[in-house]
Amino acid sequence: MESEDEMAAMMLIEDSNDEEELYGDDDDDSDLDDVIMDYDGFMDHESDDSDDYTSPHNHHHHHHHRSQNYTVLNEDDIRQLQEENITQISTVLSISRVAAGILLRHYNWSVSKVNDEWFADEEKVRKTVGLLENHVPFPDAIELTCGICFDTCPRNRISTAACGHPFCVMCWQGYISTAINDGPGCLNLRCPDPSCGAAVGQDMVNKLASVEDKSRYNRYILRSFVEDNRKTKWCPGPGCDFAVDLIVGGGSYDVTCRCSHSFCWNCVEEAHRPVDCGTVAKWILKNSAESENMNWILANSKPCPKCKRPIEKNQGCMHITCTPPCKFEFCWLCLGAWSEHGERTGGFYACNRYEAAKQEGVFDDTEKRREMAKNSLERYTHYYERWATNQSLEKLSDRQCQPESQLKFIIEAWLQIVECRRVLKWTYAYGYYLPEHENAKKQFFEYLQGEAESGLERLHQCAEKEFQGYLNSEGPSEGFNEFRTKLAGLTRWAPLKLPLLLNYSIP
Amino acid sequence: MNQASRARLFKEYKEVQREKVADPDIQLVCDEANIFKWTALVKGPSETPFEGGVFQLAFSVPDQYPLQPPQVKFLTKIFHPNVHFKTGEICLDILKNAWSPAWTLQSVCRAIIALMAHPEPDSPLNCDSGNLLRSGDIRGYQSMARMYTRLAAMPKKG
Repeated sequence: MESEDEMAAMMLIEDSNDEEELYGDDDDDSDLDDVIMDYDGFMDHESDDSDDYTSPHNHHHHHHHRSQNYTVLNEDDIRQLQEENITQISTVLSISRVAAGILLRHYNWSVSKVNDEWFADEEKVRKTVGLLENHVPFPDAIELTCGICFDTCPRNRISTAACGHPFCVMCWQGYISTAINDGPGCLNLRCPDPSCGAAVGQDMVNKLASVEDKSRYNRYILRSFVEDNRKTKWCPGPGCDFAVDLIVGGGSYDVTCRCSHSFCWNCVEEAHRPVDCGTVAKWILKNSAESENMNWILANSKPCPKCKRPIEKNQGCMHITCTPPCKFEFCWLCLGAWSEHGERTGGFYACNRYEAAKQEGVFDDTEKRREMAKNSLERYTHYYERWATNQSLEKLSDRQCQPESQLKFIIEAWLQIVECRRVLKWTYAYGYYLPEHENAKKQFFEYLQGEAESGLERLHQCAEKEFQGYLNSEGPSEGFNEFRTKLAGLTRWAPLKLPLLLNYSIP
Repeated sequence: MNQASRARLFKEYKEVQREKVADPDIQLVCDEANIFKWTALVKGPSETPFEGGVFQLAFSVPDQYPLQPPQVKFLTKIFHPNVHFKTGEICLDILKNAWSPAWTLQSVCRAIIALMAHPEPDSPLNCDSGNLLRSGDIRGYQSMARMYTRLAAMPKKG
């Protein structure tokens, strides 16, 4: 174990210089891309075969292209962007930074929208957001009456927003604190005077709120910048604090956060190529909601003709006695009362009514629906099982991926497995929704799917089982270089079928 | 907090004593034993089906007053789209999310009188009443409302 790690570490050191020169300027790329780039560097160094070079490099381009239409932001990046926007508006409109912040928040942090609205009708905008053109001067008196507690206070205990309505510092604190504790609505705080509507901005909050309230307020402002902004979304990864800024219309919605979580920026579910967001939503609903349970009940049970509770018949004869308190006795086949069954109907155990109906070809509508539900359920189980298997393998890969000090080609192999598993997983959801009657299309799709599965299976086998052998062996193994060549080859080969599958499934 | 609300209510109490003459339509009374319980008698606004009636309101003031609004309900039965016919509960924005600590019990009474004169049939607590107005049956609404004003809000004759 240890010697292997050392070897890995040595190789990393050897290559590090080249990478610095080659890729040192790519600062805003995510860690994932860095890993892949490092790998490219490694490959260059190890073999000068140009054919070997192109294939992983294509892959590199693929990632690089995708990283161009989005940026991962940490908290500092978000604040910096926010400050830049505020500076811009404050400069262009010649208003205070606080006023610029209020305007931007109101127009969902869209600089262009603020500009458009402001220059179209400044007066209207000022009125809507509560920005007064001139500060109303403080009433000229030694003492003033607070509009909330009605106490008379010395001037220095009184504070006002731009409108000049006087309230004492204590009441301001209570007012601001109540608003902040009520949630993000505090960002639209107005003067307490009901007839006023002048905005109470961050300057007032900073001056009057407690330390704790101030930090909550700042948190709300940060969240507003991400959540109200049409270009930005929080990464849904568990415990992740990064946000992803996307250039909408720039291609794929699949993004990979710096925390390594891959998700669809549009629907915030995990990345799900080749299926579209709508199908994913349907599929997830199907897996979680009652709908399949309802189908199961429909397929495997019949309602008691008297009390209507669903009954599953798992063994025994056709003579059903419903559970107390109902206790109704009926025939499972025809759902008629058992008391009517006898010689007349051809004997207790040969309900001829049902048989007769079947012979005449009279198809009961309910029966037909039940049959279809059963088929659909089996179909769903088939697809769900395969979807779920890919999901669990994906998880396993994630875990295996943890020790990143391992050799880079192995990391690359596992990244490829994760990527392929994810795509394959969703092709099963796609397959489930392929129309029943499009047989030829379905057959070809499943053929491609099978090919992709088998390629991936070989890669997975090699990366997991064969690799295990090298992990357990003591000291450098003889066949290790061959193993590297094999795994690298499989890594490149496994995803080759995917574009076909992807192109095929996107109409 | 309790101290602040108590002080503020005491100020309102003194103000009410002074304003009694100023606004003859509102009579606010504080519970002798509990400054957080108030009742009010308001006159039905003129040129409405509530004219001539006197309606009793009950106020329950929270500890966080005036940062939080008081709870108000009608004790007198009233047929109005924004008042629950059984409980007397009132649907009024300033008693919920549009509350401001600059409002007083007195100004809440004034807002309720304004609501009596200008019902909001689109957010009804009393659907029958709201539907009459929404379907444009002003006469139907007015006669129902006037009937209940006579029955519940006017002193019995004889």
